[in-house]
Amino acid sequence: MDWTKQIIRYAVVMVLQVLLFDQLQLLGVCHPYIYILCLMMMPITLPHISDMLIGATAGLIMDIFCNSLGVHTSACILLMYVRPYILSALINETDRLNEQLSLHSLGMEAMTKYVVILVLLHHLTVFMLAAWSWQHVGFVVLETLVSSLLTILVILGYNILKYR
Amino acid sequence: MQNLLKILLRYSNFLVFVLLEVAAFLLIVYNHAAPRSSVLSTANRMVAWQYETVSEITGYFHLRQQNDQLAMENAALRNQLAQAEGAEIIQYQSAKVVQMTTDRLHNYLTINCGTDDGIQRGQGVRNENGVVGVVRTVGTHYSVVMPIINTMMNLSCRFLKNDYIGTLQWDGKDSRFALLTDVAAHMVVNTGDTIVTSGLSPIFPEGIPVGIVESSVLHEGDSYYTIHIRLSTNFKRLKYVEVIHNADQIQIEELLDGLD
Repeated sequence: MDWTKQIIRYAVVMVLQVLLFDQLQLLGVCHPYIYILCLMMMPITLPHISDMLIGATAGLIMDIFCNSLGVHTSACILLMYVRPYILSALINETDRLNEQLSLHSLGMEAMTKYVVILVLLHHLTVFMLAAWSWQHVGFVVLETLVSSLLTILVILGYNILKYR
Repeated sequence: MQNLLKILLRYSNFLVFVLLEVAAFLLIVYNHAAPRSSVLSTANRMVAWQYETVSEITGYFHLRQQNDQLAMENAALRNQLAQAEGAEIIQYQSAKVVQMTTDRLHNYLTINCGTDDGIQRGQGVRNENGVVGVVRTVGTHYSVVMPIINTMMNLSCRFLKNDYIGTLQWDGKDSRFALLTDVAAHMVVNTGDTIVTSGLSPIFPEGIPVGIVESSVLHEGDSYYTIHIRLSTNFKRLKYVEVIHNADQIQIEELLDGLD
């Protein structure tokens, strides 16, 4: 795995996240978390446990920017935990992946499913934990759907642009 | 023993997952109870510095508006000065808003004052129009404030006209409005009634504007009103705030701690 490339991508995505996507004020329900692009598109070469630790770190850094200690951390750990299972459920021969996660290796259909499932799972976890009560369930679901839509579009768009 | 090790090894991924999640949940609970870590929040010097730099740059676009606001504030202060009397136990420390969210359930703002400027956890924050919130986490140069537009916030208020007490809560919907609860049906509530801080807690002195009654509904069979308050503070345009140093606050809190 090319660490330099991964870290540069993470830095660029975090700048976009904090300076652009965190500042969006669309109807008060659109809070896309595009930083998970880096976690989701990480090659699957590392041991599962390291993957989860990297997820925890990225989540903690996001939490510092959001004043929501623990919320993004647990959502990212969950994301990294289920990632390999979702992948193996979507593709029959995992060898085909060749360790790289890309549109080329996954195919459009599997890629779309992969991104939609993981983004919805991550965003729902974040917004539920951030609300920390059942009082705002309706709002949380709406927030999840609207925000996920934008995040999914950004992540799919990134992949399409990269492997056109 | 060997079998146990085998099982542990077989499920090691799951075990690590559970351990990490438990740790993350402990962080959430800790953060809700008493967030004292200024490093793990936007009071973190590097994080706040980044926000401050960006707000310095974008701040140029609002200069004219800021000037008008400052001029108005100066006038109001001069008026107050003219009639100032016996309020020496309360002092204000002005601070700049470095970062703020207004459209989440749990909104926070970061200000550029910290322990070095004498800021302490639990101090009240206001601006020239009214109540802003309470200091929640303090770093050396920056602090995080929980504003009244945070669903975890409760603020004790009273009607200016008859001193009737109620509790202000935010419903997470619109940063311009909040709800006033605990107002019993026998009260007469009119649109336009002024709501101010009650002074029941040492955080806010009595009489800081909170908002005015926008609408009040008494559903049949209910014993309490549903009151919408139009907040005095415009959170979307919040640039400067004042932290309230109440000399009595420390003493009162010590007394309260002694009671527990």
